[in-house]
Amino acid sequence: MTPAPADWAEASAEQIAESVRGGKVSAEEVTRATLARADRTASRLATFLHRMPEEALASARGIDEGRSRGTTLGPLAGVPIALKDNICTRGIPTTCGSRILEGYHPPYDAHVVERLRAAGAVVVGKTNCDEFAMGSSTENSAYAPTRNPWDLARVPGGSSGGSAAAVAAREATLALGSDTGGSVRQPAAFCGVYGLKPTYGAVSRYGLVAFASSLDQIGPFARTARDTALLFNAICGRDPRDMTSRPEASPVRLEALEEGVKGLTIGIPRDILSGEGIAPAIRACFERAVAALTRSGASLRDVTLPHAKHAIATYYLVATAEASSNLARYDGVRYGLRAKDGNLTTMYEATRGAGFGREVKRRILLGTYALSAGYYDAYYLRAQKVRTLIRRDFSEALEKTDALLFPVTPTTAFGIGEKVDDPLSMYLNDIFSVPASLAGVPALSFPAGFDEAGLPIGLQLAGRPFQEETLLRVARAYEATDDAAARRPAIAKEGS
Amino acid sequence: MPIDVTTVRKIAALARLRVETSEEERMARELAAILTYVEQLQALDLEGIDPTSQVTEGAPPALRPDEARPCEVRDDALSAAPDRDGDYFRVPQVV
Repeated sequence: MTPAPADWAEASAEQIAESVRGGKVSAEEVTRATLARADRTASRLATFLHRMPEEALASARGIDEGRSRGTTLGPLAGVPIALKDNICTRGIPTTCGSRILEGYHPPYDAHVVERLRAAGAVVVGKTNCDEFAMGSSTENSAYAPTRNPWDLARVPGGSSGGSAAAVAAREATLALGSDTGGSVRQPAAFCGVYGLKPTYGAVSRYGLVAFASSLDQIGPFARTARDTALLFNAICGRDPRDMTSRPEASPVRLEALEEGVKGLTIGIPRDILSGEGIAPAIRACFERAVAALTRSGASLRDVTLPHAKHAIATYYLVATAEASSNLARYDGVRYGLRAKDGNLTTMYEATRGAGFGREVKRRILLGTYALSAGYYDAYYLRAQKVRTLIRRDFSEALEKTDALLFPVTPTTAFGIGEKVDDPLSMYLNDIFSVPASLAGVPALSFPAGFDEAGLPIGLQLAGRPFQEETLLRVARAYEATDDAAARRPAIAKEGS
Repeated sequence: MPIDVTTVRKIAALARLRVETSEEERMARELAAILTYVEQLQALDLEGIDPTSQVTEGAPPALRPDEARPCEVRDDALSAAPDRDGDYFRVPQVV
């Protein structure tokens, strides 16, 4: 076992849980170290919408008391975790980064929160995000834009930007986000951490505030491949309260992550890599990773994803149509904001007009348009058919390969304010993350290198449904050859 | 497909969403740009292709038994209401 770290905020979840279970450190000490980090940096980064130091210390003490009574502790005993603010927490504010849910305290915990508490994890707060998970920069939060720990003038990505930045800055050991078109993977890439979008159906969305129900998945953020697996294992599996959650979802075997890549075939989708707009540093990093995996024993095979170029167009019809329906529930009647205005209809209009930000309004309008009489066939139905073609691309490419490797994003983190006035250019940043979402396959963003400005680069592995293990195994093999995942942003070194 | 301020007003009414007059032009412009971009799908041959509404389609259904169960959160749920009257949500005048 590795020696105790000088600062428990730096430790892996695996080491924390092992040390807490073995009595080498108390959950309270680990929690205090992590809370102290967040005290120093969280307000500058705007990572959290709601911090909960007292609740965290109380739950840490509960774990320590459990241990002294001889209770068997869970696989995440004493591990500090942050939750994206679209995951319901009983009695704890859950705003989705929106004014319309300001002051809302859900009456129940999400399935993943129940599971995390049972596993012994210590929830330290609710993280900032783009409003209702709509965005790629966390600038659409109604409260504040989160900053990238590697360069405070840049975005952390989004929509789960607060979760990614909190893990990178050591304000939490682990975090959960949600990924509809890349909202876990893209911020993971921008912040230099791991981010996994599980297979559609692998994790119950009970208690996840819905954005686009045929795409939404909850996914883990962590600083090592093994920690990503530990967190995935803690939340995956069938839950009768989400009818899309599948019994096939099974935990990753941690020992399998050490098996290396010998015998695995990595598919390289050369067609999507030939497009313009991929930054040279990302291209170079990709080629280095391909070479490193080949040296470690992986075979390569060229594949194509011929319809992936239509993924953004498909996504912005499917996701907005579903969003326009899901967000109909914010009507000022049962919870959240209510505007004072005349009769019932004008109250609805005024409440939604005042409560939603510009991006959310734009997507509701686009979705309403795509579903409206006369346009349904031309837009929504057509997009659903293209989605079928994109799914086929993936299943064919993965027939003769174990995983596909390609970038997460065409560029590293962009500047705050750079894309806010150009929604289409913001959407196009998701060109590499959206295809796997439409296909419903698992996809992992792993730290692979840095550009000339010292900003993290993430690469993406996509695999067959319910083969999260293969993706993490490849990423673990890469991690063994490269220090990208081990590097820390300067802000995380302050005072340590 | 052109989208102008009149269309924005029409879909905003369908969505029960107030868009400020000062915002209508910009919203129309942004929506038009996105709709122009998604026009690329019109060129694809989709003859005989089934739509995907859920990627889990075709998998054996995973339904829970249809049994009534107690729901203990009524008071908590009602306490989040902007306006309530006992066990009811209160809304403004309907007609």
